[in-house]
Parts: sequence; structure tokens; C-alpha cells
Amino acid sequence: MVAAAVAGAAGALGGAAAVGGWAVRALGGAAAPGGGAARAPRLWGWGWGGSSRRLWVPSGQAAAAASPPDPSGALSPFDRQLKRKQKNWAALQPEPAKCDYLREEVGGRVADRVFDITRAFPLALDVGSGRGYIAQHLTKETVEKLIQVDIAENALKNAMETEIPTVSVVADEEFLPFKEDTFDLVVSSLSLHWVNDLPRAFREIHQVLKPDGVFIGAMFGGDTLYELRCSLQLAELEREGGFSPHVSPFTAVSDLGHLLSRAGFNTLTVDTDEIQVNYPGLFEVMEDLQGMGESNCSWNRKPLLHRETILAAAAIYQGKTSPEGFCNSFTWRSGKNKWTSFKKKKIVVHQKQ
Amino acid sequence: MSGQGVWLRTRARLRRFPELLAGCGEQAAAYGRCVAAASAGSAELRRDACAEEFRALKDCFARAAKTAVK
Repeated sequence: MVAAAVAGAAGALGGAAAVGGWAVRALGGAAAPGGGAARAPRLWGWGWGGSSRRLWVPSGQAAAAASPPDPSGALSPFDRQLKRKQKNWAALQPEPAKCDYLREEVGGRVADRVFDITRAFPLALDVGSGRGYIAQHLTKETVEKLIQVDIAENALKNAMETEIPTVSVVADEEFLPFKEDTFDLVVSSLSLHWVNDLPRAFREIHQVLKPDGVFIGAMFGGDTLYELRCSLQLAELEREGGFSPHVSPFTAVSDLGHLLSRAGFNTLTVDTDEIQVNYPGLFEVMEDLQGMGESNCSWNRKPLLHRETILAAAAIYQGKTSPEGFCNSFTWRSGKNKWTSFKKKKIVVHQKQ
Repeated sequence: MSGQGVWLRTRARLRRFPELLAGCGEQAAAYGRCVAAASAGSAELRRDACAEEFRALKDCFARAAKTAVK
């Protein structure tokens, strides 16, 4: 367990999106290499099938998928349309970099893992890239061309500068619009925890990877937002007599290993990093989560949070972690699971500490 | 909800919560301790288990809000 203290200014929230069948087609041909230009030229894809962009009558599959899922929410717990709206909103905030500290940190760590593998990757894919947190750390020698996929177009439009020629595609992580055996490298950082069908997403990634391809990812897991979840739960119990889930469940480390091997990956390495971010209080946590585009988007979320419950939760949150008589300082533990896996067993496994 | 004004006003109100709560540290700590005690071990936290502490916290908070507005 590696604990790194990251000085964070404000708190954050989480959010959701619908299970629409997003089919995306990238425009035209490949982007020309940026060379010495400040921003590499980008091409845009657009999606259809969702209710927000009805240009023509959606196909049968899209229409069926766009309707609300079964009441239990077992198959599709998250509202992907809402998640897309939340991410777009977050990307349009006046200072998008204010709440990006966590994603940048994790993006840097994933990029470190890419460098650890002494190979050059001609074509790479970044699933759920956001503003391109991994790409800004990568070099042209390691990755020759990168395709960034995200569900929110505003995030891609505000993407950070990188020296690698990039193509941006707006697509859902569960319905990747690529042929199989296309990519040498697939990376993903902190976006797979809002996917409805994670096994399916892993299978899709396995499919688009070439044999001998590498998949490096990081996602929230385990005890993430433990204090927030506990405080809200206790407050609701005390104030209202019952509670509903406000923080979406995260994948456990052991489950992750099973899912990856079931999807067909070999030579897995899964490890956990713990990043502790301190916040002044509950409101700052929720504000930052919202700024990150991580607001709750489960179908079964309670739309209303009473003022009294919020107040009670804030008081409990304060009491949970601050020592008696010390100045206010609350922690937001984030357990992240990172893994490296190879598609077919051919390369010696990379040993990690 | 009609228009954007409602959301802006609501958000502005919510943003004042932390500073108002900061003035009620004692009551918040007392309430937190009560809840921690009530939910410790095998005890089940029931509704209004810490009602008095919460009432004190709420009164302090309301007073802070009134004085801050002025």
C-alpha cells in the first residue's frame, strides 16, 4: 500500500449515464502528425441513438437500449446519459483544472507503467480519457499514435496538449467502435467505475487489442470515499430512520482479477495504491466530486437530500477523522486498483513491487 | 424547476454551509460523538437517537445563518 498525501483544496462528488447504444464513426482519415505545432489537429466523431441527439429514427437496438432498464437496476445500474451530461457540465466549468488533481496524479502513474514496459506502441487507445491525463505524460517514442475515447465531447475539446498525434472519438466505453486486433496498447484511467457491464467492457477491450497487446488501467476500488459513505449513511439512519446508497459501489481487487482473466487476459498484475486527500469538510468533498464529473448517476439514487441530513452528515464527517481538539482536517481515502495485463502469453511478466 | 435562478440561489445557499458550520464546532462535535457512541459495537442506530444534540446543532446553525444574513 502506497499512501501519498495530495494537498487538495476542495471536495468532489460522483454522477451517472444511460445505456444507449452509441455507435460512433470517426470523420475522414487519420489526423496529420502535429510536429512542432502547439496542438495536434483532432478529428471528431459523433454518436447517434441517444435521446438527446435524435437526428433520425434510432435503430431497433438503440431504441430498446435507450429505455429505462429493469426496476432492480441489476443489469444497468448507471444512467449513462446523465453521466455524459455531468461530465460535459464539469468540463465546461470556468477552471477545469481545479478539480483535476486526482486524475492528473493517476494519469501520471499510469503513464509511468507504460514507460516501464520497454516497448514502442504504434497505436494506442485511451478509454475514458477525459482531458487526456495520460497522454500529456507520454512521448512520441513510446506511443506513435493515440486515439482518445470519451463519452463527453466537452472534455475532449478542452484536452491538454500532448506531443503525440491524437484522434478523439466520442463513444461509450462499453461499445467501442473499433475492429478487433487493432491496438497495441489500451490504457484507461479512472473511468471504468461508471460502466454498466464491466465484464463486457473488458471483453471489448480484449477484442480490440492485438495479440501481445497490453492493457494498463486504473480504477477506483475498495474503500474509496469510505468516510463520505459512512457519514451519509449514519446521518440518514439517525435523522430519517433508513438510508439509501449515495456512493456507488466499487470493484474489489479480487473481483478485478477474476474479471480480467475471464475476459481473456493473461499475465495479470493487480495492485492497490492508496491516495489520501484531505478536505476541510463534507461540502468540499461533494463540491470537488461534482467538479470532477463524478456525481452519482445510479438509477436508484435518491434525488433528495434533506438539509438536516446534510448538516448531520457534515457533523459526523468532522468527528470521524479529526483527533480531539485538533484543527479540522478530514481524509478521503481512495483505494485505486491498477493492473497490467497482456493479451496472449508471450512476453515475460513485468514484475512490480 | 423554472429557470436557472433557482439553481444559482440554491447553490449559493449551499456554499455558505461550511462557514456557518464552522461556528458551531462544539455542537457538531457533540453530535458526532453521540452518533459514534450510538452506533458503536453491535448497537443499531435508530431514528432520533441523538435528537437533543442535533437540535442544539440546528439551533446554533440557524442562529449563525440569521446573523450572517444581516
